[in-house]
Amino acid sequence: MVNYVIRRLLLIFPTLLGITILVFAVMAAAPGGVGASLLSRSGDLRPEERAAMERYINERYGLDKPMPMQYLRWLNNVSPIGFRKDENNEDAGFGFKVPDLGMSFAKNRPVTQLVAQALPITLLLNALSVPLVFILSIVMGVYTARFRGQALDVGIGTANLALWSIPTIWMGVLLIGLLASEEYARIFPTSGLESLRADRWTFLPVVTEQGWQRGYLLDVVWHLVLPIVCLTYTGFAVLTKLTRSAVLENLQADYARTARAKGASERTVLWYHVFRNSLLPLLTVAASILPGMLVGSVIVESIFSIDGMGRLVVEAVQLRDREVVLSITLITSLLTLLSYLIVDICYAAADPRVSFE
Amino acid sequence: MTETAITRAVEKVGEESFSRRVTRDTLRNTGAKIGIAWVATVAVLAVFAPFIANSHPYLMRVEGMWSSPLLAHLSWADVTMLVTFLAVVAAWRLRRRFGPGQLLVGVGVISLVTLLAAQQLVQVPRAVIYDQYRVGLAEGGIETAYFAPVPFSPTDRSRDNPAPLHEPDSVHWFGTDEDGADVLSRMIHACRIALGIGLVATGIALALGIVYGGIMGFFSGWLDIAMMRFLEIFESIPSLFLLLTIVAFFGRNIYLIMVVIGLTSWPGYARFLRAEFLKLRNQDYVQAAEACGLPLASILFRHMLPNGVAPLLVAASFGIASAILAEATLSFLGLGLIDEPSWGAMLNQAVGPTGTFALWLATYPGLAIFFTVFAYNLIGEALRDAIDPHLEQRP
Amino acid sequence: MQQRIGKRDLILYAFMVAVLISIWLAMVQIDRQWQFIALTQEKLDDQTRDIADLRRQFRRGISVSTETAGAGDPNALPDSWRGFKRAVAATEMPDYARGDWLVYSFSSQVPSLTPYMSGDAYASSIQQWIIDGLVTRDPVTLEWLPHVAESWNISEDGLTISFVVRDGVVFSDGEPLTAEDVAFSWRFVMDEKIAAPRARAYLSRIDDVTVDGRTVTFRFTEPYFGSFSLAGNLGILPRHFYSKYLESVAAAEEYNTSTGLLLGSGPYRLPSPTAWKPGDLIELVRNERYWGWVPAPFDRRIWKTINSDAAQLTEFKNGGIDVYAALPLEYRDLTQNEEIMKRTRSYEYYNPRGGYSYIAWNNLRDGKPTAFADRRVREAMTYLTDRERVIDEVLLGYAQPANGPFNPLGKQADPSLSVRGYDLDKAKALLAEAGYLDRDGDGVLESEAGEPLAFKLTYPSGSDNYKRIMLLLKDLYVQAGVLMEPDPVDWPVLINTLNTKNFDAVSLAWTSGFEIDIYQMLHSSQTEPGGDNFISYINPGLDELIETARQEMDEEARMAIWHQVHREIWAEQPYTYLFRTKSLIFADRRIRNVQVVRAGLNEGGLWNMPMEWYVPTDAQKYSD
Repeated sequence: MVNYVIRRLLLIFPTLLGITILVFAVMAAAPGGVGASLLSRSGDLRPEERAAMERYINERYGLDKPMPMQYLRWLNNVSPIGFRKDENNEDAGFGFKVPDLGMSFAKNRPVTQLVAQALPITLLLNALSVPLVFILSIVMGVYTARFRGQALDVGIGTANLALWSIPTIWMGVLLIGLLASEEYARIFPTSGLESLRADRWTFLPVVTEQGWQRGYLLDVVWHLVLPIVCLTYTGFAVLTKLTRSAVLENLQADYARTARAKGASERTVLWYHVFRNSLLPLLTVAASILPGMLVGSVIVESIFSIDGMGRLVVEAVQLRDREVVLSITLITSLLTLLSYLIVDICYAAADPRVSFE
Repeated sequence: MTETAITRAVEKVGEESFSRRVTRDTLRNTGAKIGIAWVATVAVLAVFAPFIANSHPYLMRVEGMWSSPLLAHLSWADVTMLVTFLAVVAAWRLRRRFGPGQLLVGVGVISLVTLLAAQQLVQVPRAVIYDQYRVGLAEGGIETAYFAPVPFSPTDRSRDNPAPLHEPDSVHWFGTDEDGADVLSRMIHACRIALGIGLVATGIALALGIVYGGIMGFFSGWLDIAMMRFLEIFESIPSLFLLLTIVAFFGRNIYLIMVVIGLTSWPGYARFLRAEFLKLRNQDYVQAAEACGLPLASILFRHMLPNGVAPLLVAASFGIASAILAEATLSFLGLGLIDEPSWGAMLNQAVGPTGTFALWLATYPGLAIFFTVFAYNLIGEALRDAIDPHLEQRP
Repeated sequence: MQQRIGKRDLILYAFMVAVLISIWLAMVQIDRQWQFIALTQEKLDDQTRDIADLRRQFRRGISVSTETAGAGDPNALPDSWRGFKRAVAATEMPDYARGDWLVYSFSSQVPSLTPYMSGDAYASSIQQWIIDGLVTRDPVTLEWLPHVAESWNISEDGLTISFVVRDGVVFSDGEPLTAEDVAFSWRFVMDEKIAAPRARAYLSRIDDVTVDGRTVTFRFTEPYFGSFSLAGNLGILPRHFYSKYLESVAAAEEYNTSTGLLLGSGPYRLPSPTAWKPGDLIELVRNERYWGWVPAPFDRRIWKTINSDAAQLTEFKNGGIDVYAALPLEYRDLTQNEEIMKRTRSYEYYNPRGGYSYIAWNNLRDGKPTAFADRRVREAMTYLTDRERVIDEVLLGYAQPANGPFNPLGKQADPSLSVRGYDLDKAKALLAEAGYLDRDGDGVLESEAGEPLAFKLTYPSGSDNYKRIMLLLKDLYVQAGVLMEPDPVDWPVLINTLNTKNFDAVSLAWTSGFEIDIYQMLHSSQTEPGGDNFISYINPGLDELIETARQEMDEEARMAIWHQVHREIWAEQPYTYLFRTKSLIFADRRIRNVQVVRAGLNEGGLWNMPMEWYVPTDAQKYSD
């Protein structure tokens, strides 16, 4: 087992290298180049500034060097082992060092800061939506399996399929247009994660002399409702179906039959015997969701103007902000690869029939 | 069940090939019927779009001379589609006389020849002024004209009588978009993009996935490990990110979008087929074929692929659905096409930058996307149930 | 011992996730409240120090003026305080009161508030409330008025300008502002370690800045008409606060990557001059130590960041935004909405810095002259470009057609020139004259060599209005047999396209002002790579005119030359000038004294304009 894990861990490096080379090449091949990203952001151009800015950026970030050179330099910066530099940018030999994700060209800030700012928001959205999707789908999956072929099964199945087919963009547009606009109903806020002065509020709701104030917690929840709806509704179909077939398979398994023969009620068989074994296939799905969680939902974040990872990536791509794009790809792909490994280990640990080969 | 009943059942199943049974089971499913009906409707609309929605009249009389501007303005793509459609209908009528392979080749040859011929022969006037017919009729220059049921071309922005963002009325049944073009006409012509993007993108992904996954699954060992790394590289890059990058970098072009969506979705199929092949390799019939010394190609394509490919079809029909969604999303993020009609781009206009909410622009294209995606998903679901029949039986 | 997972466990897991998230949220909130307390503490310390200072002054027997700021006859102001005349006049209004907040919104996040570290307009619209300049300008007459400088002197040759810095100006942390700070501000930008290449490009016209007591003297390398505005509008940075960033490369790097290092002498200040970071609410508080004749009327100015336009509109409709810049369609709808008009007033005006849109015709592509190298073709295209229709249909009339680069609000434009209207026949005639006829009957014009007149019109993607204009132009051009294909590209690609000059025609906008320089766009020396004459337009006569105008320091004489320049451009049509858009603003009714003046709204935006708006006490909405 240790051998297996070590081998898999070693295999991660060539993959990572490949990913970063690919992304770097795409960015390098892009017309416009990376250096052009920092020119004016507004629709107007200011003459005089343009050329000065471009020259400056090329020099500052070494964009005038040949591409392979730039890539190796970036690689050296992000790796924990490599050529070190001291405070005055002088070489300080080879050895361990702190990995440096570099600077965002467009925002002139360290990438670590940008990620640190966006990541908690995306994680918050996912920490709420992912368990919600899983729990609801598991429950639906078990019930559809139990009542297979009946109206409930067909109904839930079709409804989930229909939900899955609704484009998120459409759902978001309709939700904002219908539930958060003056014309129809103004029940929910349209954007952001908190109200204007929420940072001065108490955490829990309070009743003061001026009346009721909902407090920070409820305010956040209130702002999260629509984005969470948009993030969850598409997820039910696949997971429900997966749970359903796993439960069905297990209900026909020998051990379920044995349990029934021993006099266990159908309910007991379902929830105490079959249920646990049916969760296994969900494990694989859970792992493949992780990288997606980090990247965030581009669409939901841009519809509800939430500054999470999704928006960060899209903006970086549009501005050709190479270091940001590279860093985020690096982080997410590393986590993806690790999660595949963890799933395989968990799978083998949970199911003795699977061996490490 | 009595023994004879079982034997009879086994015989019956034995008579029928796997693919035929799957087809039959799928077609029996109500959801699949609805799905196929919708996709067929969309296909018919796509083929006959120029005859249903067009600013050019079928026939018009100028100074006593009859002419057909509509036919004169048919492009090579229109002609190819029409001929291919007729070939498909003919093939359906002849399905009992020829084998499916022959028919497929026949249709393919006919449409390819038409494509090449039409590209050479069909010349369309390049400067198109749509208002000339309406203006001509009003001023008397044109004596009589017979128009299509929807008398607007998708790019006819009614410059003679501009009505941008107009609510549905008797002239524009589904309203107009922000440029003043007829929404219904654009939706009908957008069927082409919706169908094309789903089929082409998934076709590319499927072909790549089958070849790649098949090779990986058949030769395991070092080649598999190396190829798996490459697959992981592609998988680890979020596909929307790749789409955004490539479209932002290399411009907006419907064919590019199709290819890119295809290029980003193949790893799933490859992984799927690899797993299937690894399972099949240990099956007796493959080992038997190997032992008999059959050539590799034969084992791969005649024996393993037909058995491994069925679950791929399920994935493919879901894949078509998600390719349509991907195009809609790209258009929504403002990276779609400019002049060509597309459902996603229309949806994007519903909450245009003005912040106003045009309900008709949100509703009709939104429903079109939804129904099409839903249709493909229903077909996929039915296919999956047909392939995995034991799940439907009671324990 | 098999672990059983049942329904109950699922609920338990869900509950645990919820609890963990709320604990995390609570920690975030406590953290922020702690920061708020720390900030309040800081403020309290500041006040204690001020009170102690005051007490000492009392003890020493220095008389403290009892006249409260804001009172006084605007016409009796000392000459050196003329800059505050309009603001003092506002305080004389019967219902004038201080207090309340002003809430604005931005549609994208400001990356940095640190001076010079962000090129976008949002950051500078915030900085102008915090960083003062030497002079201000009357928003109606455009006359230069004293601000931090109480007087100035321009040498005969226009090469040196000296300012006398006012006594008693202090930064918001209580330190005095001196002539040294002004000189430092220039040195700071010119330091190569500071990542301010944009500003450096402008300020490099200044050769040297010297200080003599209260006088600071700017010396220029060459006479240039914009010299005074360049020196007078230089933002004055406090040396004691910013000088430490010049000490080493590492320190400069800290400055370059900072997001909220902002301290100045303006009427407002950041609650903390170092703490702001992107994602935080942008909130300015009144600078209680403000040196000006009139203190700021509003307690706070707030900018919310709302990324989506739809959300921004909703927020405005709900009363969450006080001053809202609307798009044409929104404006038209909102002005018809009774409820909105009961709460707000609408203002339409031309922003002098608003800029103009244009189509630039490339004269030279791949070393070969294009169809647009012919003046007649360019003129025909201008006749075909129905600007009135573009303005009516897409901009709903909230714009004016442009006939040249100069702003009609200033004196640079020649008012006698007309705008060419849409004229299909004239255009066809001009094109025929240039040799473009439909030679093969396909409806498209061809040159004698059989080359069809078909081109791509490149424009920056992202703007919906732009797209609509391009489609309208496409339909207009086709009437004359000219095929145009809209080609949206995003910014980086567009910049690259301009640099390589690999396009047929491009539609963009240049920023504008009361008096602008067109050297970069149309002088033949700027056709080299990186220059802004990306259409390779060469006109020696125009070159000479531009050169003389730039060096002429006498305003009247210069304007006469600019008029000549304008006429030449009008005749030659190197660009087809499209339009200047109107700013469409809604301001809450509780805000009084909002006026449309020559410089836009009387609220600043272009330079440090002392604040004239206020909210009467009984109408105030927010308070601390």
